[in-house]
Amino acid sequence: MTQNDVADDVQPSIDGWKVNGSLAMRRQIMDRTATVLSLVATGVALLALGSILFTLIIRGAGGLSLVTFIHSTASPGSNGGLANAIIGSVIQTAVSILIGAPLGMMCGIYLADYGSGWMASTTRFVSDMLLSAPSILIGLFIYQLLVVPTGHFSGLAGSVALAILALPIVVRTTEDMLRLVPISLREAGIGLGASKWRVILFICLRAARTGVMTGVLLAVARVAGETAPLLFTSLGNLDWSVSLNRPMASLPVTIYQYAGSAFDDWVQLAWTGALLVTLGVLLINILVRVGFGRKGA
Amino acid sequence: MNGIARTVEAVSGEPPEGTGAQKAALGSPSSFNGDKVFRWLVTAAGVGVLLLLGAIILVMVSGGMKAFETFGPAFFASAVWNPVTQNFGALAPVFGTVMTSLIGLVVAVPLAFGAAFWLTQMAPARVSFIVGMAVQLLAAVPSIIFGMWGFFVIVPLMARYVQPLLRSWFGHVPIIHALVQGAPFGTGLMTGGLILAVMVMPFVTAVMCDVFASIPAVLKESGFGLGATRWEVMRNVILPWSRSAVIGSVVLGMGRAMGETMAVTFVIGNANKIGWSLFAPGNTIASLIALEFPESPSGSLKLSALMALGAILMALSFMALAVSRVLLGMSTRREGR
Amino acid sequence: MIGLTNGQMANGEAVAAKPAISVKSLDFYYGDNKALRNITMDFPRRKVTGMIGPSGCGKSTLLRVLNRMYDLYPGQRATGEVLFDGRNIISQAVDVNRLRARIGMVFQKPTPFPMSIYDNIAFGVKLHEKLSRSEMDGRVEDVLRRVALWPEVKDRLKASATALSGGQQQRLCIARTIATRPEIVLLDEPTSALDPVSTARIEELLDELKKEFTIAIVTHNMQQAARCADQVAFFYLGELVEMDSTDRMFTAPKETRTQDYITGRFG
Repeated sequence: MTQNDVADDVQPSIDGWKVNGSLAMRRQIMDRTATVLSLVATGVALLALGSILFTLIIRGAGGLSLVTFIHSTASPGSNGGLANAIIGSVIQTAVSILIGAPLGMMCGIYLADYGSGWMASTTRFVSDMLLSAPSILIGLFIYQLLVVPTGHFSGLAGSVALAILALPIVVRTTEDMLRLVPISLREAGIGLGASKWRVILFICLRAARTGVMTGVLLAVARVAGETAPLLFTSLGNLDWSVSLNRPMASLPVTIYQYAGSAFDDWVQLAWTGALLVTLGVLLINILVRVGFGRKGA
Repeated sequence: MNGIARTVEAVSGEPPEGTGAQKAALGSPSSFNGDKVFRWLVTAAGVGVLLLLGAIILVMVSGGMKAFETFGPAFFASAVWNPVTQNFGALAPVFGTVMTSLIGLVVAVPLAFGAAFWLTQMAPARVSFIVGMAVQLLAAVPSIIFGMWGFFVIVPLMARYVQPLLRSWFGHVPIIHALVQGAPFGTGLMTGGLILAVMVMPFVTAVMCDVFASIPAVLKESGFGLGATRWEVMRNVILPWSRSAVIGSVVLGMGRAMGETMAVTFVIGNANKIGWSLFAPGNTIASLIALEFPESPSGSLKLSALMALGAILMALSFMALAVSRVLLGMSTRREGR
Repeated sequence: MIGLTNGQMANGEAVAAKPAISVKSLDFYYGDNKALRNITMDFPRRKVTGMIGPSGCGKSTLLRVLNRMYDLYPGQRATGEVLFDGRNIISQAVDVNRLRARIGMVFQKPTPFPMSIYDNIAFGVKLHEKLSRSEMDGRVEDVLRRVALWPEVKDRLKASATALSGGQQQRLCIARTIATRPEIVLLDEPTSALDPVSTARIEELLDELKKEFTIAIVTHNMQQAARCADQVAFFYLGELVEMDSTDRMFTAPKETRTQDYITGRFG
């Protein structure tokens, strides 16, 4: 064995490790360049996220006081807060999920367990279509459907518009998660003599509940930050109001109205509101992704 | 033969004797009805979603009918938007929508490709998970936050550094100088496009990551096995393999960019005109709707024109989604083969 | 285990010629999991070395150490010596791209790249050599002839390689590998996804190729090992149990575990 070693060392092949110099150089430069550029591209995304968070914290954190949370919006210089906008956002988001999530789950169940043929694939396509439909158009739609006939803007109209945005997210995750439930579990349920609907609701949906909850949470995160569909539906409200039948304030719309204003305290409130919305939305996303990622691993 | 088959069926199809009590508790007649009701309910939900989209299209088109009828085909070709003379055309906002989306894509696609390349082929698993999550968080940031960030951070940067610099570089170059004309306000088509790029990039990155990660490991290894570098494997093996899906992801990003409202409204400058200068203020369909809606009473011709624009936007984003679905579907089909 | 010394002794004859690759005390880890234990063996020049053993015994892992394919995956590492052309390729600074051109690999499933038949072969060559158009044409024709694919594809070199049949694809992959003029060709169960006729053609091809290349082939198929290999190594649970000339391995194995595996008592 040792002899072979020596033999190898004594007479290495003449050009085995040698490479075509200029070609190898060019290849290496290309590879390095691509590596550096791809790092830069990733860095740009991280820089943008960092810059947004930094800006929000620097400009928004100053307004985080008790007053912001307990006072409603008020005229410039009169010590207003965001209480009505916060409660409006919470109410509208909650109502939109109450409407959108059950409908979305039912549609998801239909796609996973009942739908077949062109009907199901069309429904799936349409759901995807809604998922990427411009949200401002949903606002216009609900304006024509609910605001024009009733003659006034309302929190309910805003909630319904948001529900349409939440719906396809829940549809997609419910279908995906139900499809992950092993067939054997269904067969076990059917084998016990349970009817199909009980198997789906009490066994499959139960088995998939983490995933379905993920979808619902992502829907919450999506609609909580939406502005465009609320402009024409719940409009905004300068006073404290929790009635779904009247115009209702919301954080995003208040941010939109205040950000461009000429009053320093309004602009400050806009930044504080932006910080609150972003933190809330990002926290939900992190929770969902980390929680789900760990489960996946 | 027949008898045996029937026996087997009976055994597997019905619960054994022991669960008789349970069967009674569930009650076979009522559970049969439950099944029927449940099937009816979920099918109704599915049909409801279909009808919902139908209703949206119907409302947009019928709402825009007045404008379509008043202006005819000229609606699409006219760049006028004059509430005083009640003369409205779609050309300027459509131009702005397409221009900003294109600028956004031109910037976002290379970035997304680079990020996906790094995340799927180079980064260690843990780093890739964390950085990938950060990139996806960027996609979760609400549109209006991008608008504020764009207005307060990017617009001053553009006005103070980027636009003057570009003007001094290209201001005297033939043809290109037209792109950099106008006062450096910081707002305009280019700024809108850049904000869109930042917003769209995470979406495109996510789809590209999925596509690149789904390539069979052994195909990649064959490339490395011949002595290819990472870039050569990416360029010559992964990209050709996933070409249609990559284009699909780009078109998907295009659809996203076109429908974006709040972020663009803050930085586009909001002027209804068509010009080749990237610094010139413009508008998009979505930003025009957001801004003009409050002054458009129900039943007015102006509101109808806005709805007509909405119908056009709907059609544009529908086409983008359909095209991307076909392209993405092509690659999944091959994957399955 | 103790059997290893025996296995080592027994291959005295096989290492008489200067080996192309010499593996010494090689350990391999998937994370904390030890997948290869203290492997020592030689791959003689211009001979076919067959590697057999039950699934998960480490035979494919060893193959992937030889061209450092494991580099692609974080958490996988090797310790010990793999001597090739005077260098320990797992510890010394080695240009892995050059290494992989010199030690080519063919995989279990045919892996044609999504490009034309011609480009599939030209791709690897272009990475390492600058050839003129006519030189490249000559190279492509030459390797396609050697894998007996030329008559079947000469009229459609620009057609997509994915349209070929499974057996043709695998022969194309072998052609692609030898086109870069490697010294060693690693084959990881190259016929397990093919029909018997295609398998026979690939086995014939191996006989031709060993005149020029050193070949290491991992196989599940005992008959294939008996037909093609000059020497056979039996792996079990990450260890090299025994290695000997093919005749002796199949007629008079020294280890009972080898005997049990060869006679089909497990695996």
